[in-house]
Amino acid sequence: MTGTLELVAPRALLVPRPRVRLELQPGDRVIAEIGDVVRAGDVLAERIRDARLVEVVLPRHAADQGVPLPGTWLPGEHAQPGRRAGTPAGELLFQHGGRRRLATGPHPDHLSAPADGRLVEVHAGVALVLEIGGPGLVATELLGEPHAGRLVLLPEGSDPHLALDVALAGAVVVMPGRVDAEALTRARAMGVRGAVVGSLAERDRRDLAASAARQQAGPHHLASFGVLVLGGYLRRAFPSAIQAILEAVSGALVGTVGDPPLLLLPADRLLPFPEPDRVVVRGGQAAGSEGRWLGPGGPRRMRGGVVVETGLVILDDGRTVPIAIGDLERFSVGAANQ
Amino acid sequence: MSRAEAAPAVPLHDRGPEPPGAALLPSPSASPAAAVGPHGAFVALDLGGATLAGAIIGRVDGRWRLLAATALPAGCDPDALVGLLVDRLRAADPDLAEATMGRPVGGREPGHGLPRLVARSVPAATLAVIAATERTRARLEEAATGAGWVVVAGSAERTDPLELTRMATRPGVAALLVGVADPPDSDERDLAAELAVAAAGIAARRPGMRIFLAGPIPEAPLLDILRDPDLVRLAAPARAPGEPASSDLRIALADARRGPTDSRRAIAAAAGSLARVLALRVEILEIGVAGATRILASPSPDGDGGSGVRVEVAEAPDAALFRVSSPGAIDRVDHWFTQGLDRARLRDRLAELAMAPWGDLEGDGALLRGAALRAALERLLEATGPVLGDGSVDLVIGAGGAWSAVPGPAAAHIIADVIRRPGAMQVAIDHARLLGPIGTIEDDAERDALVADLAADLLLRLGTVITPRGLRPNRLAGQLALTTGGGRSEVDLVAGGLTLVDLPPGASGTAELSFRGTPDLGPRGRRFQVPVTGGLAGLLLDLRDIPLRLPERPDRRRELLGTWEAALWPERDA
Repeated sequence: MTGTLELVAPRALLVPRPRVRLELQPGDRVIAEIGDVVRAGDVLAERIRDARLVEVVLPRHAADQGVPLPGTWLPGEHAQPGRRAGTPAGELLFQHGGRRRLATGPHPDHLSAPADGRLVEVHAGVALVLEIGGPGLVATELLGEPHAGRLVLLPEGSDPHLALDVALAGAVVVMPGRVDAEALTRARAMGVRGAVVGSLAERDRRDLAASAARQQAGPHHLASFGVLVLGGYLRRAFPSAIQAILEAVSGALVGTVGDPPLLLLPADRLLPFPEPDRVVVRGGQAAGSEGRWLGPGGPRRMRGGVVVETGLVILDDGRTVPIAIGDLERFSVGAANQ
Repeated sequence: MSRAEAAPAVPLHDRGPEPPGAALLPSPSASPAAAVGPHGAFVALDLGGATLAGAIIGRVDGRWRLLAATALPAGCDPDALVGLLVDRLRAADPDLAEATMGRPVGGREPGHGLPRLVARSVPAATLAVIAATERTRARLEEAATGAGWVVVAGSAERTDPLELTRMATRPGVAALLVGVADPPDSDERDLAAELAVAAAGIAARRPGMRIFLAGPIPEAPLLDILRDPDLVRLAAPARAPGEPASSDLRIALADARRGPTDSRRAIAAAAGSLARVLALRVEILEIGVAGATRILASPSPDGDGGSGVRVEVAEAPDAALFRVSSPGAIDRVDHWFTQGLDRARLRDRLAELAMAPWGDLEGDGALLRGAALRAALERLLEATGPVLGDGSVDLVIGAGGAWSAVPGPAAAHIIADVIRRPGAMQVAIDHARLLGPIGTIEDDAERDALVADLAADLLLRLGTVITPRGLRPNRLAGQLALTTGGGRSEVDLVAGGLTLVDLPPGASGTAELSFRGTPDLGPRGRRFQVPVTGGLAGLLLDLRDIPLRLPERPDRRRELLGTWEAALWPERDA
């Protein structure tokens, strides 16, 4: 019965041709232009590392040139000894009282396209918006930087501390099972560009963020690295629908982005999609199980005394059980260009 | 009352198609039964951040009654929920279903096309506040937070323009509030124009960003740079600390964030109706996963000698159910949780619940929700106390999704644990989430009449809590004599604990309290006579300390809390 399937909240699995935002900071210098078709790895912007505020007096002929809009990149001017101090190049924050406030600094880092697509919007100092050619697998959060690389799946049950080696440098590695900050730090040290995990505990997230901050503050930077979390905070296996998609794109060039959180997939792969009445149990005693929706199971009192609506589900092991509808989810296709 | 008069009360875009014979279906106005006929039904939907709650309300014997209600996780299809309720009503009482909704014709179920009252929770959006000085920043921040905004704030006095720009352009910021006092303080005068230019620089990077100007901030720099800015001029913040709940700035900021069908705004309107209809001072504690609101509504005679009502609202986004990002918030959840759990695991479970609020309902998951709800309620009272005060009320109502995940008696216990005021109060919860949808009815008289009709069904009565202050712990404190229609019972009162007296829903009576000392129960005294009403929890004599003092040692604290919890939540160990 699928007529009552809409009682189960849907979870978006794939988003066709998503629009993704790549964050900029005031002072970052955008190289690409709106409408440019870009390939994964193309440099889109030069990133500032330690932006600083500079206040400069208006150039002598500035009044004749009109008032530049905030966000405009202004070239530097050489100093004229004894006459004028030089001004650094930078992005205009605003102009007031005969002075300009600029965001400036060295640009040692690059912002690269995480996947093939087209640049559709530029908001100086805020974000670039790319329309991606292929679909995106929906995640919940990206910790760190967007990146692109060849997708490698570590075997189920493997210890990531042992399975990671330098042969994976440049790859995006899917780590099933328990993952901690130590494994992720090791992956980064091996040159891995990114990791895809099912869940990550809050403590590991904070450890990872602290490790990244130390890297950022140090004089020698490692390559950018990001961890894409597909689920939440408590350990769970990948649902079979997600596992099937990851296996289908294994070895292909993929990208990760954080806004919205997505694993960007190649456009030319045929991706499996689960049956509409397939449901995943995400909580309760049957957590992690999957099965088929049969219909409403009526209100039931759960352990602990709370009365909730349930649904009848035939699990893959053949049992038919009532499960709280709040513990169920089904997969759907998300809206395009979100 | 004609249909044409009542129609604007319902959001037209949310009404389903009119079923055959729609002339017999009344609009959701509570008109005299004779005027609209005996039949009719409508659907109430509350679309919350985590929960989709629905109910069918039908006209039975000339009165509006709650016929069916349920709740599902947000994201479910409202039509599927209505279908579930219609099927359930038709299966349970086919005659009543036919009388209120009509008979299926040609396979078409008229119940699916019932008129709908819809309220929606507008999630808390982020507002960047930029002020000239730290003083003004604090006042603007207070007003914006009380209006339900999540606030990031800075001042030109402390923060450089680069950092202010970064702050205001970060992802998620929906609007910008720029302000100075009116008239500007001496140290603000020179900064007002620069702030306007800085705001223009920020808005130029974020096309379409809404900009609020509070106080004498010049518009010219914004108009020079932005082609068609979305500018709203608001009142300046209060000169003294403590932005009142009814300040123009706070109300304008709240209106700007919420739409006309926002459930929190609507609940405030429904609170006014409850106060008028029941002639009680009502306090609503609305807590959800996206925000929290405290509403006080008190009957007050209006200028015409009639009965008016005074409604005050304050929001506290940080009091959202599983939001534990503020300092110490996780410790308070741990403080109330009766199961031992290490801090890292506790944090992970709360974070997971914030993502999937309907998960983990069984076993200790329900107890964890109870602890999180107590902590959220503490944050709500703490955040709104400076604005709304801490005075006693007659009826406390728990509203929002947070209350539906704990059994009724446990909800009464949660309120008694956290609201530590001397006095007596009735306690209830908005079990079918009707307050929001009913509050979307714009006409006060129509709303009042519907509330009067539905009063028995609208609230799930939990009972009465009596909390004296000033008793000496662990001693015989006095005696209670409860007189109800069924007789008279006497109970000895021992200070330091909770005493439960059976008083079922629908029952009422008088409690005569005789104390050995002179505790504070509103006024101080030795003998009190308190009218009491029954409910799922009954009469709860809370003879514990005010404020509640618990053992410092975690194991002893859990044991004591667990003892009280078990008395009102016997299924917790099932």
